[in-house]
Amino acid sequence: MVDLGLLLKGFATVLSGYNLLALVLGSFMGIIVGAIPGLTATMGIALLVPFTFGMSPITGIVMLLGIYTGGIYGGGIASILIKTPGTPAAVATTFDGYPMAQKGMAGKAIGMATIASGIGGTFTALCLTFFAPILASFALRFSAPEYFALAVFGLSVVVSLAGRSPLKGLISGALGLLIAMVGLDPMGGFPRFTFGRIELTGGFSFVPMLIGLFALSEGFRQIETIFTAPKVTAVLKDIIPKLRELAACTITFIRSCVIGLIVGITPAIGAETSSLISYAEAKRTSKHPEKFGTGILEGVAAPQCAENASTGGDMLPMLTLGIPGDAATAVLMGALTIHNLQPGPLLFRDHAELVHQIFGGMILANFMFVILGLTFARFFARVINIDRRYLVPLIFIACMVGSYAINNVMYDLVTCVVFGFIGYLMMRYDYPVSPMVLAQILGFMMESNFRRSLVMSQGDPSILVTRPIALTILILAVFTTVTAIRRQRKMMRAQGDTTT
Amino acid sequence: MARVSMKKVDILVSLILVPICLYVFYESGRWPKQALIGAPTLIPRGVSACLLLAAGVLLVQALRGKASELEAPLEGANRRRVMLIGVLTGAYAGIVAYVGFLISTFIYLLLFGLVVGERRLPRLLLFAVLLPIAIYLIFSTFFNVPLPEGWLR
Repeated sequence: MVDLGLLLKGFATVLSGYNLLALVLGSFMGIIVGAIPGLTATMGIALLVPFTFGMSPITGIVMLLGIYTGGIYGGGIASILIKTPGTPAAVATTFDGYPMAQKGMAGKAIGMATIASGIGGTFTALCLTFFAPILASFALRFSAPEYFALAVFGLSVVVSLAGRSPLKGLISGALGLLIAMVGLDPMGGFPRFTFGRIELTGGFSFVPMLIGLFALSEGFRQIETIFTAPKVTAVLKDIIPKLRELAACTITFIRSCVIGLIVGITPAIGAETSSLISYAEAKRTSKHPEKFGTGILEGVAAPQCAENASTGGDMLPMLTLGIPGDAATAVLMGALTIHNLQPGPLLFRDHAELVHQIFGGMILANFMFVILGLTFARFFARVINIDRRYLVPLIFIACMVGSYAINNVMYDLVTCVVFGFIGYLMMRYDYPVSPMVLAQILGFMMESNFRRSLVMSQGDPSILVTRPIALTILILAVFTTVTAIRRQRKMMRAQGDTTT
Repeated sequence: MARVSMKKVDILVSLILVPICLYVFYESGRWPKQALIGAPTLIPRGVSACLLLAAGVLLVQALRGKASELEAPLEGANRRRVMLIGVLTGAYAGIVAYVGFLISTFIYLLLFGLVVGERRLPRLLLFAVLLPIAIYLIFSTFFNVPLPEGWLR
């Protein structure tokens, strides 16, 4: 159960001194990153992780939570103003947000988007606060076979649901698993796939690799559209929605919060999926579905609420089990690891005070972006017009310097650049990047717990299928994989029909 | 918008994956055999086998004309720009330790700006001079991270 005393102390810690400044800065930067099309919350977190190295753990984490929640919200601003989602999660906001802007109601759309995002994010941050300790205490009963099964389930979901093609997701995930094996064998201590290089005995540096895959690769993508970035010309007025307009969307808020929470908890599917599902449901259950797409407040409220609602859901498996809910939480895991904090049930047992500070930070981060978003809406709208010919090189330099700054070794800078190229080529040719990253985290968990299980059972593999919790999770993994194979076959049949 | 088949890309990816998988099998066969540490070759070989199978399916799909299509192919000036920036970035990573952060970043930003079409030279020069200095000062004073000095040492 959550310790209310520790939670109140957590709030007090986050609201004091440098932590509050970090939260404000993080939210501000997060909204800017989210608002500029092509820059994602994941990229913002990846870029800033090295800079939190010198901060205390809670200061650094609070700043990153500000970027995370602010970044997810910020994507809606560009969706409304220029019909280009600032982040992939904000695609559904364009459906009604842009028509509202065309009708001269851009300010009202942004105001509704801001408040809806705040409601969704705060709801799931509260759910995280109250449910995470319960899940963590249950997970304390888990042993190596259960963690192995969880890793396998996580991998099956990651690979099958990421990207348009499960086959390419599988290739990306399998490559991620192989990359995770570079370095010293975790139990035997002998080098694996190091090619005799000392630098590779510790494996590939995780954070520089993340920066390369998510931030530098996106920088390359930005070069493709550097001359064609659309400009904002709308004037924002009447930003704060009226009380009756908010009251009219109450059912939408409740439904979107629940959708965001459920989707967020499932590994690999995050804000983009939850916002699309929420929009579809709002339209389906509406008394006037024909009005959706013409520019109505409910069409903006539903996706925005769900996309920020998924942030708390994504944090839940990451904090309690060490399984990231999406790419952004995978990067957040990297940040926790930099501060010598290993996500999982032991984090709750050994660092209870810090965990409650994280809860407080998550809740307050959602309030912070609402305050900043409503106050500086016009400024954030103008930020979209920033000259990309200066922004993009700044991103490149920030990536490379940030990577170097972690350990002060050139190897990390080279890792960032190499994986930047790889990430860009993967994105260009429709190979999803997220499975590669998530598979590295889950792959290490899978392999080490598999081998520990065999040691526990003295080589008998039946230990993996005779423990009831482990068996249940493995059955779920098989079900997910079978569903993915059927989806792939359906895709192949559909392609065959269109080519004949 | 023109769509391009990814047949060539998929075939190339399949052909790259095969030697990677075979190497995993080869190297894992050379690992020391130690008792009671839980079969170290099982997972790497299992993953490689899955990857080999996936590469095979991808290759067969591509050869049978069932490769997916790319919606926005990179062509012409856009492609040249991306490739140039790629080369520039690789060169920067290679020389920054020897030449030093300030000089190499100045050159990098100058060339980057020219490649992406910035022709207002005074503004570009100002940016190329001020940004490296600002980053250098921030990292050395606030983060206590020394950046490569190179020739300036």
